[in-house]
Amino acid sequence: MQVFKAMFKITKKRLPSALAYIIVFIVISVIASSNASKDSKFEMTKLKICIFDEDDTSESRELSELIAQNHDIVEIENDRDVIIDSLYYKRADYALVINEGYAEKLRAGDTADIFASYCLDESFSTVYMGQFLDEYTNSVKAYLSMGMPIDEALSCTEEALSQETDVSMLRNDKGGDAHYSVDFAAYFQYMPYILISAVFIIVCQVLVTMNRRDIRFRTNCSCISSSKYTFQLFLGSGFFVLAVWLLFMAVGVMLNKEMYTGRAWYAVFNSLIFSAVVAAIAVFVSSFEPADNILNLITQVLGLGLSFLCGVFIPREILSDKVLSVARFLPAYWYINANEMIADVIPFSSEGVIQCYLIQLGFAAALILLTLLVRKVRYSGAAISTNVRKTAVSH
Amino acid sequence: MENTVVKIQDLVKRYGDLIALDHFSLEIKEGEIFGLLGPNGSGKTTTINCLLSLLSYDKGSIEIFGREMTPVSYDIKKEIGIIMQNVAVFDELTVYENIDYFCGLYIKDKEKRKKCIDEAVKFVGLEDFVKFYPKKLSGGLLRRLNIACGIAHKPKLIILDEPTVAVDPQSRNRILEGIQELSRNGATIIYTSHYMEEVEQICTRIAIMDKGKKVAEGTKDELKRMIKNTETITIEILELPDNVLRDISGLDHVYDTNYSDGKLSVYCSGGKHNLLRILDVLQKKELGFGRVYTELPTLNDVFLEITGTALRDKEE
Ligand SMILES: Nc1ncnc2c1ncn2[C@@H]1O[C@H](COP(=O)(O)OP(=O)(O)O)[C@@H](O)[C@H]1O
Ligand SMILES: [Mg+2]
Repeated sequence: MQVFKAMFKITKKRLPSALAYIIVFIVISVIASSNASKDSKFEMTKLKICIFDEDDTSESRELSELIAQNHDIVEIENDRDVIIDSLYYKRADYALVINEGYAEKLRAGDTADIFASYCLDESFSTVYMGQFLDEYTNSVKAYLSMGMPIDEALSCTEEALSQETDVSMLRNDKGGDAHYSVDFAAYFQYMPYILISAVFIIVCQVLVTMNRRDIRFRTNCSCISSSKYTFQLFLGSGFFVLAVWLLFMAVGVMLNKEMYTGRAWYAVFNSLIFSAVVAAIAVFVSSFEPADNILNLITQVLGLGLSFLCGVFIPREILSDKVLSVARFLPAYWYINANEMIADVIPFSSEGVIQCYLIQLGFAAALILLTLLVRKVRYSGAAISTNVRKTAVSH
Repeated sequence: MENTVVKIQDLVKRYGDLIALDHFSLEIKEGEIFGLLGPNGSGKTTTINCLLSLLSYDKGSIEIFGREMTPVSYDIKKEIGIIMQNVAVFDELTVYENIDYFCGLYIKDKEKRKKCIDEAVKFVGLEDFVKFYPKKLSGGLLRRLNIACGIAHKPKLIILDEPTVAVDPQSRNRILEGIQELSRNGATIIYTSHYMEEVEQICTRIAIMDKGKKVAEGTKDELKRMIKNTETITIEILELPDNVLRDISGLDHVYDTNYSDGKLSVYCSGGKHNLLRILDVLQKKELGFGRVYTELPTLNDVFLEITGTALRDKEE
């Protein structure tokens, strides 16, 4: 275990700077994930709406009730100045006037001028409510044109809209499961980038040190076998990656302020497997003895590249099919795939998640085999093509 | 005859178009301090790397301890200690930890290893520096650490590739003495260098390399006997008439003369009292002269005569 021990010592020597990196990464991920949850919470936040029902029919009251189900209704004096004031001081987000003749016009399928609203400028709430009202009236109109009576059309619309909001809520809070909160989803979402960066910055540096030509020559002259040596390198990197991963998990618990439960364990396990993949990538990359600046470049390319291609930063729906079909050949794609299943963004099934695990493990295994091969060919001497490097040997 | 430890036969190594080793053969016996002497770029390091199976080669065969050497000949590697031309230690580990790491690749047993490390530390005189990191060591001490890392496991065959490059004289002497001590303790040693003085000083047998070829081999006396020069006499003399120079050139055993910058060099081959006979000529012509000195041939002269270029010329 000589190699393993040396790696450990070297890592320890580098720990202060390594820790600085890890802490920066954790802070970034905490910020990123708390932003993410704020965003989606914003959509869930109820708007403060005041309604002036000037029509006062059963239809208009039905609409008011529907709005009241999803938002807070505030009572404000029906006076232009007062309304503007309350909008300004954020006592209300939106003021809706249901114009007189609403019910009649709706029944006739005429949706012009049935509402009026006060707003200060194009805020989120005006757009949101405008869209909602459009959808509502269009839907009613559609049901009516199918020949439904008005009360049925209204209740069908209500049902349809509430289903839709359910879906859109789901999409936004990524929390189809009570055990897997928004914070977690975001935290795990960003993890590939952070893991890759942290691991590369530390593990690869150590591995590159171990791999320095002179030191490797000396090691290769000794009676330790190449595969034993490589195995210890894997073990050492694995050990370190595991430590980083545990740290991330601990931070995850602190962020969430409770232990992982239920489905969250799937995500925990998912990230563990991904860590193994990252460790394998690290060992693989460092077998090529990249120089420091090249290593930094590789870190960036791999960290950012994998993250963008596989949907760490941008939702995968936005990515083109072409990109996604390429991304399938990258381990992070399957990490995100599992993550999205766990978050119910795509339908959850434990078989599906396990399949993602297996694919990732496949990547790790393939990388380990490749590394063994590369090291055998490059370092065990007899098979090396030596016209690669001129500097180190010639004095 | 003693056992053959290393046998290299007809080794050819190419780097692309460059032929780094050209049908190179070598045989080293047990207990020798074998010197591989040659200017930079002559292929010493390449020879060592091929010998250790660190590099592949195009042709030839290599046997160590009578067995074929391959990258997986761990039983052979076990008995070899290697000190590379470049210092190969971890900057992140202390002197002690470095020796421990490399020694640990050979010796698993903790107690035994500790003993070996302590002995190695003492051997290279780094007792006061065991807790130091390599960055804090001077060039000479660093070289000594490099050596300690290579010999701690008490190998039977020790290979040193230019261990004294960029080393202060004190460390250099210590290293050279150390090598002789290792030899006395029973190790076979291969020592490469482009400093002929060192090779002359410690090596029992020497091979001279140039451009990937072995140009000469033997003990240092054997090598010197290979060339006709046995003595170079230099006399500082302000004025030397041509007829006197001709007289001197005509003396027995003198095969060449050269007069320039007020210095007369006379190259002699064999014979006794060459200096006296030359001074005799000068005295008869009543010519005054300044300092007189004679030089015995060096390996540089050997090299010069065989290859036509001086070892020194190639140094940069
Ligand atoms: N990896 C390499 N690739 C190409 N040429 C090399 C390489 N290593 C050494 N050489 C060349 O091979 C020749 C012998 O080099 P080397 O064995 O290092 O000489 P020495 O150790 O005697 O100084 C030199 O001309 C050197 O430039
Ligand atoms: Mg060399």
